[in-house]
Amino acid sequence: MKVQGNNIMLWLLLLILQLVICNYLYISPLLVLTLLPTIIFCLPATLPTVWAMLIAFAAGAFVDLLGDGLIGLNALAAVPVALVRRMLLASIFGSDTVERGESISIYKNGFFRIAGALGIVISLFLAIYLFADNAGTRSFWFNLLRFVVSFPPSLLVGLLSFNVLNPKEKR
Amino acid sequence: MAERKGISGYLFTAAIFIALEVAALAMLRNASEVQNNWISRGADSFNACVWGSWEKVRGYFGLRRVNDSLAVENFRLRQQLARLDSSLYMPEDLSIVGSFHSIPARIVRHSSNSQHNVLLLDRGGIDNVIAGSGVVSEKGVVGIIDAVSEHYAHVLSFCNSSTVVSARVGRNGAVGQMRWDGISSTGAVLSEIPPYEGMMPGDTVFTSGFSSIFPADIPLGLTGESKLVNGATLVIKVRLFEDIRRLRYVTIVSNNDRAEIENLLNEEGQ
Repeated sequence: MKVQGNNIMLWLLLLILQLVICNYLYISPLLVLTLLPTIIFCLPATLPTVWAMLIAFAAGAFVDLLGDGLIGLNALAAVPVALVRRMLLASIFGSDTVERGESISIYKNGFFRIAGALGIVISLFLAIYLFADNAGTRSFWFNLLRFVVSFPPSLLVGLLSFNVLNPKEKR
Repeated sequence: MAERKGISGYLFTAAIFIALEVAALAMLRNASEVQNNWISRGADSFNACVWGSWEKVRGYFGLRRVNDSLAVENFRLRQQLARLDSSLYMPEDLSIVGSFHSIPARIVRHSSNSQHNVLLLDRGGIDNVIAGSGVVSEKGVVGIIDAVSEHYAHVLSFCNSSTVVSARVGRNGAVGQMRWDGISSTGAVLSEIPPYEGMMPGDTVFTSGFSSIFPADIPLGLTGESKLVNGATLVIKVRLFEDIRRLRYVTIVSNNDRAEIENLLNEEGQ
């Protein structure tokens, strides 16, 4: 994923969108709609993991500090996504793609591979987020229900966000 | 911004990851009482796990020290028991028991694969160990000290073809010479037993106390099959209670009157 001219601006806008979702979008107490894992996944593939983790932490802390919610929760869940990001990109799209920083898009790499990769990072994020959010006060089944309710919309908005950050590109 | 490679790169990444997660947990802990309790419980469990494992490792490496102290305590208790036994059941033998003094010792070297096996004990002249003293365990005779240096004692093991112990079948039975059978570390042969002596397989063999090396009535083993040799004496197989190869701790027994007894015997011989 090459860093394109307006990508940084788009990336920041999506982060602000996540903040807006946190503060103003109340659909259900079960639902956690998140863009953060997609935003972190869309960081340049050549960016070292340590830098990606620092950016993920900063982005999570930004949402935590300015949004309604527990401070530290998004940061806690975002850092592991950054940790596995390069490994995931290499295993799904090939290590050459990561080393050369080739662009990745739905049209070039296929819908299901992108959806699969996003599904994994969103699952990881939600698992940590929900686990820490309930802090042992709720049963496993309640956590699973929240996960099942939150995963499809998060994946949907994640795919849309991914398409915004990595626009149509021919094979 | 190049990615660090190799082990150091992975360690650096792991360290940054842990630091960021700890920072996030610290923020979360301050954000809510529920999360504070949850994280505290998790931290306590983690600490308990780490310290529990560490204590297990420390305990394992401290076993040698514990073992040594237990051996010393065991020795002290056996001495106490021997004194009580003497005063309760054998008041007439008190002087005989009292003529031996004991020193606990640890086996530091051991040979067991030849016909002339020896042991090395961690006690020597500095501990008042003298050559000719006996070495026993709670389950039998271990050997006889044949040389002593300042800090170590060299012992002819009972599993040595040249070691002979005076032994008796039962507490009041016939006395004979017991030596290693040369085959098994728990096998011995008791010879020179008169055939008219009543003896059954399974009888206990004790030290006779007739030598000045070992005290009387130390149980050695159980009798097995017997065989008449030259129509004059019985040779009896004995299964020893103690397997010398497995021993770590022993007791050195020295007869305080040994020099006097030997002088008397020498004068008699002249």
